[in-house]
Amino acid sequence: MKRYIALLLAVVMLVGIVPVSAQEAPEGTWLGTWPYVLPPEHDLGSFTASGLAANLGNVYRSLVEMPFAFYMWSSGEYEPMLASEWGFTEDNTAYRVTINADAMWSDGSPVTSADVLATYSIGRIRGWSQYNYISEVRAIDDKTVEFVFSGEPSLVAERLILKEYIVAAANYGELAARADEIVAAGLTRDSEEWAALASDIGAFKPDVLLASGPYTYTLDTVNDAFMTMQWQPNSIFSGSVQFGEIKLWAGETEVTTPLVLSGELAHSTNVYPANTVTSFESAGINLVTIPRAYGPALLFQHDTYPFNIVEVRQAMAYAINRDENAFLTNGIGASGTVYMSGILDDMVTLLLDEETVESLNRYEYNLETAAGLMETAGFTLDDEGKWVDAEGNRISVEYKFPAEFADFSGASQNAIDQLNAFGFDITARANPWQEVAADIRAGNFQLSVWSWAQGSPFATSQFFGPIQRFNYVGLTDGQIGMNFQMEFEYNGEMVNLQDMINNASTGLDVEAQRERAGDVATIINDLMPFIPLNVMLSVEPMNEAAIAGVPDDSDPIWLNPSGVDHPIIWLILQGTLSDAQ
Amino acid sequence: MTSIPTPRPVAAAPRRSPGQVLRRLWDSYSFRVLIQSLVTIWAVTTFTFVLIRLMPGNPIQIRIDQLMNRGLTFEEAEQQAANLFDFDPDAPILEQYVDYIGKLARGDLGNSILGGGTPVNSIILEFLPWTLFSVGLGLLLSFLLGTLLGVIIAYRRGGFLDNFITTVSSILYGIPDYVIALLLILVVGVQLQWFQVGQMRGAYNPAIEPGFTLEFIASIFQHAILPVGTYILSTTGSWVLAMKSSTLSTLGEDFITVAKARGLSETRILSAYVGRNALLPLVTRLAISIGFVVSGSVIVEEFFQYPGLGRRLLRAITERDYTTMQGIFLVISISVVAANALSDLLLGWLDPRVRVGKGRGR
Repeated sequence: MKRYIALLLAVVMLVGIVPVSAQEAPEGTWLGTWPYVLPPEHDLGSFTASGLAANLGNVYRSLVEMPFAFYMWSSGEYEPMLASEWGFTEDNTAYRVTINADAMWSDGSPVTSADVLATYSIGRIRGWSQYNYISEVRAIDDKTVEFVFSGEPSLVAERLILKEYIVAAANYGELAARADEIVAAGLTRDSEEWAALASDIGAFKPDVLLASGPYTYTLDTVNDAFMTMQWQPNSIFSGSVQFGEIKLWAGETEVTTPLVLSGELAHSTNVYPANTVTSFESAGINLVTIPRAYGPALLFQHDTYPFNIVEVRQAMAYAINRDENAFLTNGIGASGTVYMSGILDDMVTLLLDEETVESLNRYEYNLETAAGLMETAGFTLDDEGKWVDAEGNRISVEYKFPAEFADFSGASQNAIDQLNAFGFDITARANPWQEVAADIRAGNFQLSVWSWAQGSPFATSQFFGPIQRFNYVGLTDGQIGMNFQMEFEYNGEMVNLQDMINNASTGLDVEAQRERAGDVATIINDLMPFIPLNVMLSVEPMNEAAIAGVPDDSDPIWLNPSGVDHPIIWLILQGTLSDAQ
Repeated sequence: MTSIPTPRPVAAAPRRSPGQVLRRLWDSYSFRVLIQSLVTIWAVTTFTFVLIRLMPGNPIQIRIDQLMNRGLTFEEAEQQAANLFDFDPDAPILEQYVDYIGKLARGDLGNSILGGGTPVNSIILEFLPWTLFSVGLGLLLSFLLGTLLGVIIAYRRGGFLDNFITTVSSILYGIPDYVIALLLILVVGVQLQWFQVGQMRGAYNPAIEPGFTLEFIASIFQHAILPVGTYILSTTGSWVLAMKSSTLSTLGEDFITVAKARGLSETRILSAYVGRNALLPLVTRLAISIGFVVSGSVIVEEFFQYPGLGRRLLRAITERDYTTMQGIFLVISISVVAANALSDLLLGWLDPRVRVGKGRGR
C-alpha cells in the first residue's frame, strides 16, 4: 500500500512541476499576408534591415515581440500587453511601467526590467525618438522601470514608450552593455565607437527568436511562398489566442489578389484597387474598413508664382471636388477631406475644441467662389477659358507625381483635370516615386503630391506631414522642399508655425493641447500651404468562411487605424477571432 | 693540308616578337571572339555600375522615406537608416568602382546591402538554379514543339492545320507572358479551380524534405508547371512562325528539287535535307535565347512567387540594393555574352567565311 501511495505522490509531484507549457496549442490557422524578405536574407534580428520589422510589419510583430500596451482609438486608452501598470510618477518627472508578473519569453525565462533597459540602451545608440523626451531609463525593481524625462512630461512620450517593442536581454545584452559603456564614457554619436556599435547592432542576427508574444518562428518555417509562425505556450496571451499558427503569404497586392479570391488568404492589409474590391464583394468575401490615417495632399512649391499667393491656393481648394477626387484615388477606400485643418477628419473633434471646429472653412466645392478668389488675386479668364495675370501669363506649371502609387496617381490626375477645367494649364509628369520624393525635398517641383497626416492620436504628429516633413524646417543639407515660410505675421502678430506645431501636443493638459492645436489648424485652414485632398481608408478582406468572430461594423475597434494600432492585433490576442473551419 | 673543321652554327629557332605573337593570336577567330566577349562584359559591367547609381534614390534614401512615413523626422530617419546598411552613399563613385572591380577580380560580388551581410554570391546561387530550370525547360520544350509544328505546317501549307496553328501562334506571340500568367492564375486557378493557387507557389512543397526522392522531384515539376507553361505558351508561337518560314524557304531550294528528282523518300528529304537546313538559322537564335534564360522573367516569377533570379532582381531594383543588382546584372551579362560568343563560334564553324579576318583570306 505504501508503495502505491509513494507512486501516487510521485505522480502528483511530477504533475505539479510540469510547467504551464503543458497547455495544448489551439487549433486553426490564421491566413494572412506580409511581403517578408525571402531566404537566404531573411533574419530574426530586431534591428536589422531584413529582420523582424521588415518580415512581420507592425501587425504581426506585435504578436511576437510585444510592446507594453495597445492603444484604443475609440476611448483614447491603453490596454495591457507586456505591462500590467503604467503612468506618470506623482511628481511628473518620470514615466513608470510595471511589467506583467506572468510575462515570459518563449524559452520560459521571465521578462524583466533588464530586458527593457537593454532595449533602450540599444535604442539610444540607434537614435530613437524617445530620447527627445527622456534622459535615462532606470530599473526600480525586477519588474518596474522608470523613464526619466529630460524636460516637460509628455503624452507623446507616453505613446512612444508604451508602443516600443521590447527585446530580450538574453539576445541583446552584450550589445546593450557596450552601449552603456560608450554612454558612460561620455562618447557621442560622432565618435567611431558609437558608429561601430551602431553598425554591429544593425548586423546582429540572433540564432533564436525569443518571443514575448504568443507566436514565434524559426528560419526553417520561412519559404518562398509563405512563412509560418507557431504558437508558443509561455506568453501572457498564449491561453487566449485561438490560432495554433499564423500563416503569412509572401507578396504584395497583385500577388495576394488571387489568393483572396481563391479563399486561401483570409485577411490582408494590402491596398486593392476599386475593381478588385468589387470582385471580392461579388465572391462573397466580407470587407472591413478602417482608417488608413493618411491621404494624398497637393503640395505647392511656395517660391513658384502664383502659388505664393494665398488667394490662388484657396481658389484651388474650392475648385477641386474632393469627393470625386477621393473616389478616383481609391474607390470606396477614400473620402474627401472635410475640415481642411491638417488633422484627420475623424480626429478633429477630439483634438480641437468645438469653437475652432465651427470656425474652420470647409472649402466646399464651389467654382464661383474659386473664380472670385482668382479675380481678387488679379487673374482674369482669357478667350480659351484659362486664367491669366495682368501681364497675360497663364498658370502653366508641371505637376509631378509618383507613377507607381496608384492612389497618389489617381488623386493627382483627377486634381489636374479639375484644375485645368477650371482654367489652369497644368502638365502631368509621372516619375518614379524615388525621384518625386527627391525632387520635392530639393524644391525641384511646382506642384506635387505626398501624404498628409499619420496614424497618431496627437496633433503634433498629424501636422508633421507635409508642412514639416517636406519643408525646409524638416530637411537637411540646404534642401528647401515646399519652402513655405514658417515665421510670418498673422492677424497682426508674428507667429512661428514650426514652434507652434512642435508645442501643440506637449504637456499633460489636454485642454491646453486642444487650444494650441486649434491655433495651428486655423492657420493651416486659412493659408492652405497644402491641400489635403482626401483621407484614405483601408478596405481589408476578412473572409468569414475562414475567420470566425469578426466584430460587426459598428464595433469601436474598427476606429483603430492601420499600422501599429491595427485592430487585428488586439482581436487575435484577445481570442476574439478564431478559425471558422 | 688539313683543315680544321669549323663548327657549324646551330640554326636558331626563329624568334617572334610579342607584337607578332599578339598579331597571330588576333588572327585567330576564336581568340578575337573571346577578347570581344571579355571587353563587352567589362563595358556592360561598368555601364551597369554607373547606371545603377544614376537611378533616383539610394538604399539609405529609400529607407529614410519609409521611416519618415512612420513619423520620424528627417534627422532621426537618416540616423536610423545609416545604421542599417554597410554602405556609404557619399563615397566618391570612382572609389566605389575601384572597390567593386577589385573585389570582382577576386570573384567576390560583395554583400547584399539590404541583406545584412549576406554575400551576393550566395543569393545568386540560391535563386539562379530555379530560373535555369524553369526558363531553360520552358525554352527547350517551346523550341522542340515550335520547330516540330513549324515543319509540319510548312509541309501542309495552305491547309486547315496550317491556318489554325499559324493563327494561334500569331496570337500567342502577340500576348505578353505576364498576361498569360495572369490568365492562368485567374481563369484556370480562381475561376475554373483546376488547381489551388497557393499550393502552386514556390519551387516545391515545403512539407516535403528536399532530396533525391520521387516525391520531391515530382513536387518540383508540379510547382514548375505554371511558369514553364507560361514560357511555352508565350514563346512557342515565335518558334513555329520562324521554323515555318525557314522550312518554306528551304523547300524552295534547288537541292530539294534535285533530291526529289533523285527519287529520295519524303522522310529522308525531310530529315537530311529540309529539317537540318531549315534549323540552321534557328540554332543561332536558340543560342542567343539561352543567354537570356538567366534573366528569367521578372513578372512571371513574381506572379507565381517562383524563387528565381528575376523575382530577386525586382526587389533589388525596388529597394536599390546596388550590390545585388550589380551581381545579378553581371551574371545576366556573362550569360548573354557567352551565348553570343558561342553563337559566333558555331556560325564560324558552320560557315568558314565568317572566320576570315579582314583582308587576310585565312
